[in-house]
This record gives sequence, C-alpha cells and structure tokens, in this order.
Amino acid sequence: MTTTAAPFTYADSAWSIPDRIREAHIRSWDRLATPGEWWSGAERVSIAAESRRASALVDGLPDPGPGPTELPEAAVFAVHKLIGDLPGVTLEWYEETINAEGMSDARYIELMGVLVHVWSVDEFHRALGLELEPLPDPNPGEPTRRRPEGLADHGSWPSTIAAEDVAESEADIYAGMSRAPNVLAALSLHPDSVRWLNDLFEAHYLSWEDMGDMDTRVRALTRPQLELMASRVSALNECFY
Amino acid sequence: MLRESSHRNGTIDSLNIHGAVNPDSDSGVPDGGLLTAFAEAAVRQTDALPGLRERIASVLGAQQLVDAAGVVANFQRMVRIADGCGIPLDDFTKEASEDWREDLGLHEFASAANTA
Repeated sequence: MTTTAAPFTYADSAWSIPDRIREAHIRSWDRLATPGEWWSGAERVSIAAESRRASALVDGLPDPGPGPTELPEAAVFAVHKLIGDLPGVTLEWYEETINAEGMSDARYIELMGVLVHVWSVDEFHRALGLELEPLPDPNPGEPTRRRPEGLADHGSWPSTIAAEDVAESEADIYAGMSRAPNVLAALSLHPDSVRWLNDLFEAHYLSWEDMGDMDTRVRALTRPQLELMASRVSALNECFY
Repeated sequence: MLRESSHRNGTIDSLNIHGAVNPDSDSGVPDGGLLTAFAEAAVRQTDALPGLRERIASVLGAQQLVDAAGVVANFQRMVRIADGCGIPLDDFTKEASEDWREDLGLHEFASAANTA
C-alpha cells in the first residue's frame, strides 16, 4: 500500500515522538521514493515492500504484498536473507549475490541502504506498538548510475572510500571525521546511503559528535543505559562487530 | 563504549559486561535488566513487548521509552550493515575489546568469521 498523504503525523501515538525523529522519518520517506544511483524510485519502494514481507514472514504475520515493480530474484532473496537470516550471511553468499543477474556490488549496497533504513523506521514503530507508515508513491526518473571516486579495498567485502580519499562532492558523508568508522564507510559505494545513515543515526541514537562526548547527557536515558541496550541488540543478532 | 561510558558515569565499579550478552546476568547499569528485556522483546517481537513498554514508561518515563525504541531501531540497522558488508573491526575497537571478546564468547558468533 502506498500513499501521498502527509506521513508520520503520529497523531494516534500514545507516546510523544520528538521532532528530530519525526522529521528524520519524513526525510527517509522522501529519500526512499527518489530514484537512486542504481535503482529507480519504484524499485526502491519495492525493496522496502519486500522488507515488510520478510518481517511478516519472520513474525508469522499476513503477507503485506509486493511493491510497485518486480525486483531481480537475487535482490528479493538478499532482502529476506538480511532480515531473517543475518547469521547466515557469508562472503561466499555476498559474492554470489553481487554476481547474480540484475545485481552488482553497487546495486547490493544501495539495496542495503534502502532496506536497513526503511526497516529501522519500521522497527521503531514496532517497538512502540505504532502502525507502520504506508510506503510512499515512487518519484519518476532514472537512476544516475554513477560510481563515486576514491573507492578501494579497505577490508570490507565491498570497496569503500577512506576519509582521506573522499571527493569534494561527497565531502559531507563523514561529517568532517579524519577517520570514518568501518560501519559508516561500509555504504560509501553509495554515498546517499551514508547520508541517510548519518541522519537516522542521530535521530534514533546520537550524533557522531555526541558519540565522542561521554560527559554530556543528550537523551532521557543515560549513556550507559543507551550503550547497554546497543550491546544487547548486537548480541541478539550475533553481531561480532 | 559501555565500559567507557560507565566509567565516566561513575558506575564502572558495578558494571558487569556479561549483562550485555547474557539476560541472566545483572549488568549493574541502573534499570539495565528492564531495558535489555525490552530490547529482546522488541527484536524478537514477543508477547512481553506491550507490558515492557508500559513498565518502562511508568518506571523510567515516556521519553526514556522512546529513546529505548530508538536504540533498538538504530542497532537493528547497524548490525545488518556490519554483517551484510563483512566489515573489519576498527583498530580502536580491536584494541579496546581484545581482553573481553573471548570472555563474552563473541568469537562463537557466526559473524565472527566475517569480521577480521
């Protein structure tokens, strides 16, 4: 289901949702609907719809149905794997996926960027017992198919951009950091996904600047409470990183 | 980060890092058991979730509940990026965590094979 109505009003929420979160969610839906570098707007919304199908499958809920356009089979499988079988993700599976029909390393990273951010917004809603926001109508237009400059092997499966190699057009993605955390650089093959990550990271958790400041309390929960929960979520997902 | 923040927060003496991994261990972080129970219920979407929401809102406050939902949402995303891209540990994380990763059994996680 898609809609053109104003999203994320939280009018029926039992909890007061801060503006920083509501506004970041609205920006997320704008990003979702807009053609990317490697997927059209309709394909991006279909990736989001597939993430909801994967979640429903995991939770034993009715199938919410596909998105507005068909995706390559390997893309559908990747969405379900990343949502429902994260411990089963391996280098061999990654290489099979990016070499499958209709896929590439860049398409995989943009797919991941769409998937994890939409799913994160949905997880926020599910955690608070809120209805999921209807997916947006896709914007028209073609993917730009542009690989960023400065990509190299820095130990992650996909090529990434080191902070010192970022081109001027992407200078904002690491927010002035001289060294980007690997989890941030992981998506740099698709710079808009890094921008999306920065936006939601700050809205849902802390800004990168706040991360380095252990002394100032910026949320209602204390820093140890935030860090404990973060560690628990990572452990539940068997995430070594 | 948990150890560093607990140190700065003045709760390092009572911090038990096992509480982050094992639900039966008390982390020593105030209301940590309630928050980690919420995290588990939200990640696994269990029937305990509605009651834990109400409990956090009444014991800690409604904004604390929204913060807790934000942490779950954030790290459900971050772990998928990390494991879906096979990223290596950052040097500072490797150095800071060498002594307790083995102790906590993190090397047993499936994703340990993907993270150099």
